[in-house]
Amino acid sequence: MEEQFIFRKQYRNILIVLMVVAFLVALTAVFAFRPGASRIWANILLNNQFFLGIALGAAFFIAVNRVAMSGWHTIIQRLPEAMTSFIPVAFILMLLIFFGMNSIYHWSHYEGYDEVLEGKKAWLNIPFFFTRIVLYFTGWIAFTWMMRKNSESLMISSDLKYHNRRKIFAGLYLVFFAITVSASSWDWIMSLDPHWYSTIFGWYVLISMFVTSLAFIIILAWFLKRAGYLTQLRDDHVHDLAILLFAFSIFWSYEWYAEYFLIWYGHLPEETTYYITRLNEYKAIFYLNIGINFIVPFFGLIRVRSKRNLNWVAMVATVVIIGHWIDYWLMIMPGAAGGDSAIGLLEISMTILYAGLFIFVLFRSLARGLLIIKNDPLLDESLSYES
Amino acid sequence: MDSPKYISVFFDDEDPLREAVRKLLESKETIIDVMTPFPVHGIDKLLSIKRSRIPIGGFIFGILGATLAFGFMTWVFTVSYPLIIGGKPFFAVPSFIPITFEMTVLFSGLAMAAAFFVRSKLKPDIRFNPVEERITDNMFVILVDTGNGNTTPQKIRSILSGIKTLEIRE
Amino acid sequence: MFQSPLRNPLIKGKKSYQDVTSQLLDPMVNKAGKLWYMGITLSGGAMMFGLFMIFWTIWQGIGTWGENRTVGWALEITTFVWWIGIGHAGTFISAILLLFRQRWRNSINRSAEAMTLIAVACAALFPLIHLGRPLLTFFIFPYPNTRLLWVNFNSPLVWDVFAISTYFTISLIFWYVGLIPDIATLRDKLTKGIKKSVYNFLSFSWKGSARDWHRHEITSIMLAAIATPLVLSVHSIVSMDFATSILPGWHTTIFPPYFVAGAIFSGFAMVLTLLIITRKALGLEDFITIEHVESMNKILIATGSIVGLAYITEIFMSWYSGVEYEHYALMNRVTGPYWWAYWIMVICNVGSAQILWIKKLRTNLWFTFFLSIIINIGMWFERFVIIVTSLHRDFLTSSWTMYKPTIVEYGLLIGTLGIFFTAFLLFIRIFPVISIFEVKSILKTEGAYSANKELNHG
Repeated sequence: MEEQFIFRKQYRNILIVLMVVAFLVALTAVFAFRPGASRIWANILLNNQFFLGIALGAAFFIAVNRVAMSGWHTIIQRLPEAMTSFIPVAFILMLLIFFGMNSIYHWSHYEGYDEVLEGKKAWLNIPFFFTRIVLYFTGWIAFTWMMRKNSESLMISSDLKYHNRRKIFAGLYLVFFAITVSASSWDWIMSLDPHWYSTIFGWYVLISMFVTSLAFIIILAWFLKRAGYLTQLRDDHVHDLAILLFAFSIFWSYEWYAEYFLIWYGHLPEETTYYITRLNEYKAIFYLNIGINFIVPFFGLIRVRSKRNLNWVAMVATVVIIGHWIDYWLMIMPGAAGGDSAIGLLEISMTILYAGLFIFVLFRSLARGLLIIKNDPLLDESLSYES
Repeated sequence: MDSPKYISVFFDDEDPLREAVRKLLESKETIIDVMTPFPVHGIDKLLSIKRSRIPIGGFIFGILGATLAFGFMTWVFTVSYPLIIGGKPFFAVPSFIPITFEMTVLFSGLAMAAAFFVRSKLKPDIRFNPVEERITDNMFVILVDTGNGNTTPQKIRSILSGIKTLEIRE
Repeated sequence: MFQSPLRNPLIKGKKSYQDVTSQLLDPMVNKAGKLWYMGITLSGGAMMFGLFMIFWTIWQGIGTWGENRTVGWALEITTFVWWIGIGHAGTFISAILLLFRQRWRNSINRSAEAMTLIAVACAALFPLIHLGRPLLTFFIFPYPNTRLLWVNFNSPLVWDVFAISTYFTISLIFWYVGLIPDIATLRDKLTKGIKKSVYNFLSFSWKGSARDWHRHEITSIMLAAIATPLVLSVHSIVSMDFATSILPGWHTTIFPPYFVAGAIFSGFAMVLTLLIITRKALGLEDFITIEHVESMNKILIATGSIVGLAYITEIFMSWYSGVEYEHYALMNRVTGPYWWAYWIMVICNVGSAQILWIKKLRTNLWFTFFLSIIINIGMWFERFVIIVTSLHRDFLTSSWTMYKPTIVEYGLLIGTLGIFFTAFLLFIRIFPVISIFEVKSILKTEGAYSANKELNHG
C-alpha cells in the first residue's frame, strides 16, 4: 500500500529523446514543406487546447467524484491529480500565442470595415483576450494546486479536515470550471471563425475534454498496471471507468448531433458556413470524427465482458483519444489555417512533442508522494469495491 | 405414500443462506431452487446461474427497430411520396434520427420485458399459491431435491450443523 | 463490500426485514387517515375543474384560449413541457442513479417513477386537446390511409409523438417490472378477499426464485441502460420543437442539453415536494432520511447551475452573435412587457440552486419543501418566457401583440395539477410507495445496525 511511482531514468531518457526527435522532425517539416505561419500557430493552439483539455478534464473527474462522495475512484485518484500538473506549462504555451495572434485570429487584424467584427470588438480585442487568459489560468492553477497540496497532506496525516476540505474545493472548482471552460472555448476556438457562433459550443468542448481525460486516465492506469504498480486495481474498477468512457462518448455524440442537426435544420447562412467548409473540404475527416468517437466506443464497450478487460478498454481509449484529437483538429484548423490545413508530418510530430512534454510533467508529479493515498477515509471502500 | 418431492430449508438471513448453499453443494446435494425476498448477492455464482441472454435479445430487437424505422421513413420520403418540406432533401438522414432512436429503444425495451416474462414463466394467475408466504417478507428458502428418498431432513440437518436454520421440512 | 463509516445510514432504526415489510405495506393494508381524504378532496376538486375546462375547450373550440395570430403557442405548451420535464426526474432516479450505483435511490425510485408516469400522462393531454379536432388525433400516426398521405417525419411535432409514447411505454414497463416482487409481497400479506385476488393477478405468479431474481436484475439494469439515453432524447426532442425554428431566442444549439438539465432540475424539485409530505404523512422518515433529501438537493445545485450557465451563455451569445434580432430578443425578455416573468424565472431558478450551497439549508426539510415549490414555479416561468417572449415580438414589428391567458387556460393548468396529485394519492394507497425488495437488499450494508444481526450474534 506504500506504493510509490518511480520516475525511472529509463522513462526520462525515452521521453527526452522522443521530444527532441519530434522537435527536430517538426523543424524539418517546417523547412522542407514551408507551411504558412497560420498552420504552424494553429498546431500550437491545437496541441495546447488538446493537452490542456486532458488536464482540466482530469480535474473535473476528480471534482465530480469528490462532490458525489464516490468511493470507488479513490484507488486511482492520484492519476488525474498528476495530470493536472500540466496546466502551468499550458499557461506559458498559451501566452506564446501572443506572437501568432495575427496568423490565426482574423479578428485581431482585419482590414477595412467588418460590421460583425466591429460589434464584437468589446470582447475580441487583444488586451482583454490576454487578461482573460491570465484569469482562467490563475483560477485553474490555484484550484488544482490546492487539490494536489491537500492530497499531499492526506498522505502524511489522517486528519479528517483534509478530506472535508476536498469537497469544498471540488464544488468551487466545478463552478469555476464550467464558466471558464465555456468562456475559454469561445475565446480560443470559436473566435477562429469570428462570424460564427453556437451556444452549445462551450458544453461541447467541455465534454470533449472530459472524454479525452477519461481515455487518458484509462491508458495511464493500463501502463501503470503493466509496469507492476496498482496491483489492487481490479476488473471492478476497470468496469466503472469503462462505463464512464462508454456513457460520455455517447453523450459527446449527442452534443455533436445537437449542434450539427440544429444548424442543418435551421439552414441559416450565418450558422451553416461552419459546417459547409468542413463538409466540402474535409469530408473524410468529418465523417471519421463522428465514426471513431461514437461507433468505436459504443460497439467496443457495449458488452459487460469488454468493459472488464483493461487491455481491451485501453485499446478503445487509445482510439478515442486519437478520435478526439481529430475532433479538435476539425474545430481549429479550418478556421485558423484555412486552405493550408492538413494532417501531415508537422501535425504528427508536434503532437508527439506535446505528448512527450505532457507525460514528462505527469510522471514527475506522479512520483511525488504515494501512488495510493493511504489515509483517504474512502480508500477501504475502493479496495473492496465490487461491481 | 408418495415420497415428498423436495425438502425446504428455512433461514431468516442471507449469510446463513449462502453458507448453507455452499455446504449443500459441496455435499453434492441437488438444489432445485433458492427463494428469497430480494436478490441475494453471490447466490447466482454459487448456483452457477448462467448470465441471462436477455440483453442480447434487447440488442437484436433494438437493431431491428432501428432498421424498420429508418427503412420505413426512407421509403416514405424517397419512394412513396417525396415532398420538399422546408427545403430539406428527400433522404433527410439527420431528420430521421430522432424517430429511429426512439424506435430502437421501444423495440429493445418491449423485447427485453417480454423475454423476461416468458423466460421466468410469469403470467397473471389468479389462483397462484406460493410455496411459502413468508418468502416475500423475510424468509429465505432452499428447496433440496429428495432424490427418491436419498436425502432426508436428518441428512440435511447434519450437513448444515453450525448454520442457523429456522426449519427443515418436507 | 465495505462501506465507509463516514457515510450515514440510508435506513434508520434497527429494522428487521419483517419491520420493513410491515411498515411499507401499512398504507395499503390499513385504512387511510383524515389527511389523505382532505388531500384527495382538494386535488379531486381541482381535477374536476380541469376536466370541465377540457370539455369546454373541445366543445366551444380553441377560441376559448388566449392565443392569437402572433402568439400561436402559450400556456398549454408551456405546461406540456413543464410536465414532461417533471417526469424526467423519475427516470433519472430509477435509471441513471441505478447505473451510477447510488444506493440511496432505493427508497425513492418507486414513487419517483410513479410520478413520471402521471406527469407524462398529464403532459400528453395537451397535444390531444390543443388540436382543433381532437377526435382526429389518430391522423398523427403513419398508417396507410385513403388520403394517400404520410405524416411529416421531418417535423419535430411528429418526433414528439414517438418520443413521448416511447417514453411512457418504457417507463411503465420499467416501473411495473420493478413493482412485481412488491405486489407479490402484498399478495402474501393479505389473507383473503377481492384485494388479494387482484394483487394475486397483478403479481404474475412471482415466487422469488433465484433464477427469476437474476433475470429480474438483468432486465432492470438493461431497461435502465436504455431508459437513460431515452430520457436525454425525449426532452431534447421536445426542445427541438423550438430549436428547429429560426426564431431568435428559439433557434439556439444549446437547447437540447439545457432543456434536459432544466427538466431534471424541476423534476427533482417535484420529487422533493411529494416526498417531504409523503414521508411525514406515512411515517417513512426512517427510509427517506435527511441524507436522501440532501443528496437530492445536491443534484438540484448541479442541474440548477447548469441552467444558470445556460442563461449566461445565451446572454453572452445574443450579444456576441451581432444579430440585431437576437439582441432584441434578449432585451425584450429582460426589459420588455414580460420582464416580470423573466425576473421570476432568474430569481427562482438561479437563486434557488445557488442558495443550496449552504449546508444548513440543504438539510432543512421546511426550507427544502418551500424551495422545491419555488423552483417549479421558476421552471414553469422559464418555459413561459422562452415561448411567449420569442413569439410575441419577432421579426415583423407590425405583428407584435400581447398575450393574455383566459380562465380556461388557467383551469387546464390547475386541472393537470389536480390530476397529478389525485393520481399520486391513489398510488400511495394501492402500491408500495417505497420499493420493498430494494430497501431490503441494502438493509444490511447501508442500513443502521440491523436487528437481525443482533439476533444472529445472539
